[in-house]
Amino acid sequence: MKTYFTKFSIIAILIGLFVSTNSIAQNDEVKSYKFLYKFNTTKQEDNSRLLEVSFIAQHKKDRKNKVPVFEAEINFYNTTDEDDILLGTVKTDKDGFARLILPESQSYITDIDDYINIKAVFEKTEAIKSYKRSVAIKDIFFDLQLKEIDSVKTAIFKAFTLDSLKIQVPAPEMDVVFSVGGMISKMPIEEATVEDGEYEFEFPTDIRGDAKGNVDVFVFLEDHDDFGNVIHKKNINWGTSLKQNVISENTLWSEAAPLWMYIVLTILLLGVWANYIYSIIHLFKIKKEGKELELATEIEIENNQE
Amino acid sequence: MDVTKRKRELVEEFSPLMSKTTKTSKIWMIFLGIVILVGLYAFVLQFMKGHIVTGMRDNVVWGVYIINFIFFVCLSYSGAFIGGILHFFKTPWKNSVARIVEIITVLSLIIGPIFILLCIGRLDRLHYLFMYPRIQSPITWDIIAIMTDLIGCFIYLYLTFIPDFAILRDNSEKMPKWRQKTYKYLAIGYQDTTSQRERLHKITKTMSVMIIALAIIAYSVLAWIFSLTLQPGWNSSIFAPYFIIAGLYSGVAVIIISMYLIRKFYNLDHYIRKVHFIGAGVILLVMSLLYGYFTFSEYFARWFSHKTHDVNLLDTLFTRYFWEFIFANYIGILVPIVILFFKKFRTIKSITIAAIIAVLGLWLNRYLIVVPTLETPYLPIQDTREEFIHYSATWVEWSLSFAGVAAFILFFILIMKLVPIIPMSGIIDNERNGKNLKEKRTNNSN
Amino acid sequence: MENNKTKKGSTNRRNFLKLGLMSSVTAVAGTSIVSSLAAQEEPTESTGEKVRLLTPDGKMVEVDATNINKYPDAHVSPAESRKGIPNKKFVMVIDLARCKNARKCVESCQKAHHLDYNEEFMKVQLIQDNEEGSPYWFPKPCFHCDEPPCVTVCPTGATFKRDDGIVLVDNDRCIGCKFCVTSCPYSARQFNWGHKDKFDDKSQPYSPETSIPATEGTVMKCDFCPDLLRQGKLPHCAKACPMGVIYFGDKNEDIVTNGEETVRFSELIKERGGYRHLEHLGTKPNVYYLPAVDRQFPLERGFNVDEDIIERYKDVPYVQDLKKQGKI
Repeated sequence: MKTYFTKFSIIAILIGLFVSTNSIAQNDEVKSYKFLYKFNTTKQEDNSRLLEVSFIAQHKKDRKNKVPVFEAEINFYNTTDEDDILLGTVKTDKDGFARLILPESQSYITDIDDYINIKAVFEKTEAIKSYKRSVAIKDIFFDLQLKEIDSVKTAIFKAFTLDSLKIQVPAPEMDVVFSVGGMISKMPIEEATVEDGEYEFEFPTDIRGDAKGNVDVFVFLEDHDDFGNVIHKKNINWGTSLKQNVISENTLWSEAAPLWMYIVLTILLLGVWANYIYSIIHLFKIKKEGKELELATEIEIENNQE
Repeated sequence: MDVTKRKRELVEEFSPLMSKTTKTSKIWMIFLGIVILVGLYAFVLQFMKGHIVTGMRDNVVWGVYIINFIFFVCLSYSGAFIGGILHFFKTPWKNSVARIVEIITVLSLIIGPIFILLCIGRLDRLHYLFMYPRIQSPITWDIIAIMTDLIGCFIYLYLTFIPDFAILRDNSEKMPKWRQKTYKYLAIGYQDTTSQRERLHKITKTMSVMIIALAIIAYSVLAWIFSLTLQPGWNSSIFAPYFIIAGLYSGVAVIIISMYLIRKFYNLDHYIRKVHFIGAGVILLVMSLLYGYFTFSEYFARWFSHKTHDVNLLDTLFTRYFWEFIFANYIGILVPIVILFFKKFRTIKSITIAAIIAVLGLWLNRYLIVVPTLETPYLPIQDTREEFIHYSATWVEWSLSFAGVAAFILFFILIMKLVPIIPMSGIIDNERNGKNLKEKRTNNSN
Repeated sequence: MENNKTKKGSTNRRNFLKLGLMSSVTAVAGTSIVSSLAAQEEPTESTGEKVRLLTPDGKMVEVDATNINKYPDAHVSPAESRKGIPNKKFVMVIDLARCKNARKCVESCQKAHHLDYNEEFMKVQLIQDNEEGSPYWFPKPCFHCDEPPCVTVCPTGATFKRDDGIVLVDNDRCIGCKFCVTSCPYSARQFNWGHKDKFDDKSQPYSPETSIPATEGTVMKCDFCPDLLRQGKLPHCAKACPMGVIYFGDKNEDIVTNGEETVRFSELIKERGGYRHLEHLGTKPNVYYLPAVDRQFPLERGFNVDEDIIERYKDVPYVQDLKKQGKI
């Protein structure tokens, strides 16, 4: 018994030495965090579907201390009555987001009520328990028509789902935001409650658009229980006449100076330097005369000596 | 009057001044050399460590260097102006001071730009000023003006030297070989023939007119560096004339001081007489009145119309810089006026004291133009670091200033060893003209 | 027989223990190797910015943040930086009614441009226009004026105005004459007085659009972060403001945003009475201010900062009153 006890204690000590104190401390650290696991889905402008999970650890005491979970494997499944179909696996990035984009052509298996059930699963690890969230959404279709009716720019919006017989069913009542695209962000131009899947409004006449007059018109549906997020986009050349940047030339602050400055400077400098050259020429003449005189006197002295 | 004999006499009179160095002179030169060496050390320190060794910081980015630059350049321009005008006077007494004025012109135009170079952060990129110049910038105008003016003043100075070099060359048997060679080379074969003399007079005359015009334009450009900005205290319409008047005031004062020193240390009482001092003193009086008038106009308008930023500026002037303001604008104006106004007070010594007060007052006036405006910008300086709120020059800046003054004096002394400070050709011309005049009178009376 | 059994049993137990020891050693060694590998994943040359991340195994690691400037793909050389982003005219609107001196704009700008504590491209001042007037916090970047006095006086063309309205400084050409510093009426420019170690950072070449790395003896100032604008992102100050005080956008598009709200620029200025500072000087700045009316919260909230920052405002009459009353 004694030898077993000694051996056991020796082995325990060895294990204790090998186990780095870091990992023990870190396990404590992890314990002081709670995890925020969120999952949403967005149908994007090109009709692809984005599945996004955000996985962030928040310190229990210091709520502002948030650390993203990095390289956590998230599996996305299309759950059906029988089994889960794996749609894709993504690892979280440095911001703690895992994003999977499924193309338009992706087919899903719906349940009886025509809902697509998707779940995002994080398998449990040593330090972190497993997390999963699921959403149940229906596929919705947006249609935005931008037409000039009686010389009034109008936007006609339709939202519908397709039932099992592929017949359009107007979407239920929902709040959407119509925006136009800017360089950094999108500016809302109309907020609407779409009833019976239809909405019409007058497009504002003073939207500038980009340099060529093209405007991107967006429709946003945010966080609907049945449809998730939906974004739809349409481009139209309804931008008002754009003032081209007046590029001022020949000003005090441009690269080329006002013309009169060049002229005045040239005149002044020419005048001054002409005077200098005049003086120097005359100096050379003085020198020449002096030399001639010197030669003449030398010759005279030589002659006198002879 | 035998011209050749007279020339020999003059050379004999002036050559000891040039070749001999008295003990006091030696000690003086060594002292100046030491001051310059300290300045060089300070320069190397600034070059290696950057401008952090100066007192300039983010709000007052221009300090003692710019003030010295303006001061020396104003000496130069006023020297050019006075030299040019003196050239048109045919009186005999102008001869004694003409060369002093010319030398001051050229020397201060060499020393002044050295100070502006000290103010530039990246000396290794100086050539960018010539590769990528922007003609809209007042600094570009200033560079062109200073370079043009330097060349012009140099040519003008040389033109006045030529006859004296010729005299020295012809009478230099007793002088060492290197002197003879230098004089021969620099005299460019001037033999004082009538045609040569006439030619020289012609180009000197056109040059002197040009110098006057250049002086006015170039100094206005320097004033525009300040008055073309938006800052309170600088954006004044009379800055260019104000700078020219102040420049003339300080220029005449420095001329008086140098006349006094040269007369004393070189025993030239015969040539630099009381009449010179009285004449210069009268000009100093006129200049001080004008200067006082311009200064008063500047500050009076600001005080009377009491715009907020002008009031802030005047507050700074009257609280933080109170004694400097009093000295520069009251003592610096009133004392010279009092001394020079009354005939009783006009002695050589008192006139020189008036000149010294004027010079100090003007240097302070430049300080009060540059620094307080930068300390009271439109948007208040809200900072806790003392050196970022108020400007105080460090030893580096002061030592470089004194080194500049020392270099000025040293170069002056060295030039006086090359060429006599009283133009010998001028003396001969005066005597010749005087003799001609006498002959004319006797002829007329006959 | 019995001996054999115990022997076998003991051997089994020993084997089991051995196995346990071996496996735990391997496990621990394995995780430490993995974690050290994870830490060494990023290249050793770094820009110094690190983020804390949690690995799935519960280890806290620090890795290099992704280089926001997206160097080297998006490097803009000094010569290229003289041409602006085409067809844009950038403008900033600062809402003085919301500013509470959180100084997040100052700090994020300092972090992004590698500035020291006292070097501020965006300054927050406390301005009280007159004795009776109400003081307000005044964030002041460079105004990128349309008729900039600083560009006019530069002798070498080191500071220039681009077609998209941004005024930049090319530190490769600046000779440090400081004329632009004296001619800016808004005191927006700063000078690098001495050598600092951060100037030797060679991890990315210099671009006037990033203002990194700065050089000794040259001028620097707020640059409206063109490196972020090219990626369609807001400048650092606008992004960092917790109150949404700073709106940024394009005058040509007539849209400005503060990250949360996106509004029409002309409407914002008209409805809220937007003005420009020191308009009468004729510099035509591109930063508009919305007056401090209908404030969101009292001014005293802004004094929740370091002592030395409050010291800066000691000349403001309101602060002097507070000091007399003993409130700060």
